[in-house]
Amino acid sequence: MNLAGRLGEMLSEQIEYRELLVQLTMRDLLLRYRQTVIGLGWAALMPVINTAVFSVIFVRVTQVDTPVPYPLFAYIGFLVWNFFASSVRFSMASLTGNANLVQKVYFPREMFPFSAVLVGLVDLMVGSVVLAALMAYYGYSVTPALLFLPIVVVVGVAFTAGFALLLAMSNLFYRDVKYLFEVVLMAWMFATSVAYPVESVDGLLGILLSVNPMTQIIEAFRAVVLYGHLPAAAPFAATACVSVTVLMVSWHLFHKAEFSFAENI
Amino acid sequence: MPEPAVRFTEVWKKFRRGVRHDSLRDLIPSAIGRAFGRSSGDTPDKREFWAVRDVSFEVRAGEALGIIGPNGAGKSTILKLLTRILKPTRGHCQIRGRAGALIEIAGGFHPDLTGRENVYLQGAIMGMKRAEIDRKFDEIVDFAGAGEFIDTQLKRYSTGMNARLGFAIAAHLDPDVLLIDEVLSVGDAAFRDKCMERMRELRRREVPLVLISHNLPVVQDLCSRAIVVDRGTVRFDGDPARAIQEYRRVPWTNTDPEHPPQSAVWIARVELLDEGGQSSATFRTMGSMRIRVHYETRRPVRHAAIAVDIHRGDGIYCAGVSTVADRCNLEVLEGVGYVDVVFPNLALLPGCYLGSVKILDGTGRPPHDRRDRAYPFTIVSDRRDAGVVYLDHGWTHRQSTPAAAEKPRPVSFMGTT
Repeated sequence: MNLAGRLGEMLSEQIEYRELLVQLTMRDLLLRYRQTVIGLGWAALMPVINTAVFSVIFVRVTQVDTPVPYPLFAYIGFLVWNFFASSVRFSMASLTGNANLVQKVYFPREMFPFSAVLVGLVDLMVGSVVLAALMAYYGYSVTPALLFLPIVVVVGVAFTAGFALLLAMSNLFYRDVKYLFEVVLMAWMFATSVAYPVESVDGLLGILLSVNPMTQIIEAFRAVVLYGHLPAAAPFAATACVSVTVLMVSWHLFHKAEFSFAENI
Repeated sequence: MPEPAVRFTEVWKKFRRGVRHDSLRDLIPSAIGRAFGRSSGDTPDKREFWAVRDVSFEVRAGEALGIIGPNGAGKSTILKLLTRILKPTRGHCQIRGRAGALIEIAGGFHPDLTGRENVYLQGAIMGMKRAEIDRKFDEIVDFAGAGEFIDTQLKRYSTGMNARLGFAIAAHLDPDVLLIDEVLSVGDAAFRDKCMERMRELRRREVPLVLISHNLPVVQDLCSRAIVVDRGTVRFDGDPARAIQEYRRVPWTNTDPEHPPQSAVWIARVELLDEGGQSSATFRTMGSMRIRVHYETRRPVRHAAIAVDIHRGDGIYCAGVSTVADRCNLEVLEGVGYVDVVFPNLALLPGCYLGSVKILDGTGRPPHDRRDRAYPFTIVSDRRDAGVVYLDHGWTHRQSTPAAAEKPRPVSFMGTT
């Protein structure tokens, strides 16, 4: 089958099963809401705690220059980073955690990683409420640049979904991936402008940090929400291309491997 | 002839035996081993086996196909291939339209969700649209008999209720093809009847059906055709009653005709004979059947007895006779000979049956020799009675209107032959 045909099949399956995607997402949100005391509040609480910890380090212990007050800078960084990290983490466990379904019922397996990303997206929205409150506190208001936010979100979601598919699949074949990726995530976070601006790093390392797509995505969020201007055109366009490529390649691989999931899980 | 709804063409499916590489720890040494041309001794070919070998069948609208066979024969693999969970190694399988699968029906249930939430989730997993579930919701809950518990978390449900809810959802799927894997083993008798009724209704609506079951009476009752699967291949394809008979006919592997058993007397062969003394496999209701048991002995045997059992294909034990019960003394069995048992009026109704023969040791020790369910025969009849046995019967009708005479009037009568 040619690539276009396969792409069409992949998309039409998603449309056919869109209600399942909603149901699976609802299930996970509902379960978290029911099983925990704070429920959806965790979505905002995690970046708040992260921000508080790093605020102590970067405001009291050592100074770091940020274009906006540090808590605002860090909070949006953690919000976007947590979206990426928890979506990928959650989708890695999604196939193996639903082994019973994978072995018994047919539906596009992409549903599991995709619903994990959707759950992450809901968390991102919940966490945005706190962001709005922080912005109001520091006297920041939104500008017309915010209209560009949907495009930034789409790029972020594409990149995250691509990784989610790839790692969910890898973890199904090799359970080490889950542990390995935890280490990678930790290093990756410090290689991204989550808690500090990458401009403060010079030389080769600085360049390396700024080509990191997650840095570009987080910086794009900051640009349209906090700084009131569009993200830098060339790096953002490049990041968008990388994200879409990552998604397409891993979706294609996932779709090809899908039929062997039931016997390998 | 319409296009078949299910088409399974020369399908082969290969699996790997043994433990798979589950972690990189296993992968890395084997990858290094391969890179340096070192064989691990366990070649991939040796560890692979064919779970399904060259299986073909088709199911058309209005047909119900039963798949029977021993555990591990490949039945569930066939169903997984049909539901697209597995992909065939060779061959094609294809289903036209929406396939509803009743495979471990409560698979998608989550214990922390309520019955209601699980209905929506499971419905979506099975491919139902939300509006469709909304429409059928009350019917599903009613069918499962879960009305008052529907907003209770599933972990508080009993096992049976859990399964009932699962079946209820699947039963309301309105599929183009229904695939069922051993699901009737759950629920109480009343619920099972409800399920059977639902499946019959789907049959009446000409929904093609594939049923995998060890419940042979259900297969015989529901299916229009059955295949017997054994070690991945189709051993028989045809009438369900014959298929069941074929499946239950346990091949005698302990005895080899060339090397008779260690016992003093053994069954050499068994013949089923009709009225004219001809060997036959088809008999008539209320006709005559003679079972001739040929024996051979190593030395004279006293106190031996012969027992003959008849089972219907689906396992119902219909009759058992023995020389012991009939106080018929065989004296001494010596050399070669045969014992006949005659049923002059075989009161069995049409179906497929299996005969078993034993030579018993009259003193209570294990039997000298036995052939369980080894002798298949079929009963045919013009009679339209239902059930297992023909009961000789007559009808009378009494009316108390003045016009009618006082004496009872026979309205119909069927003789005994």
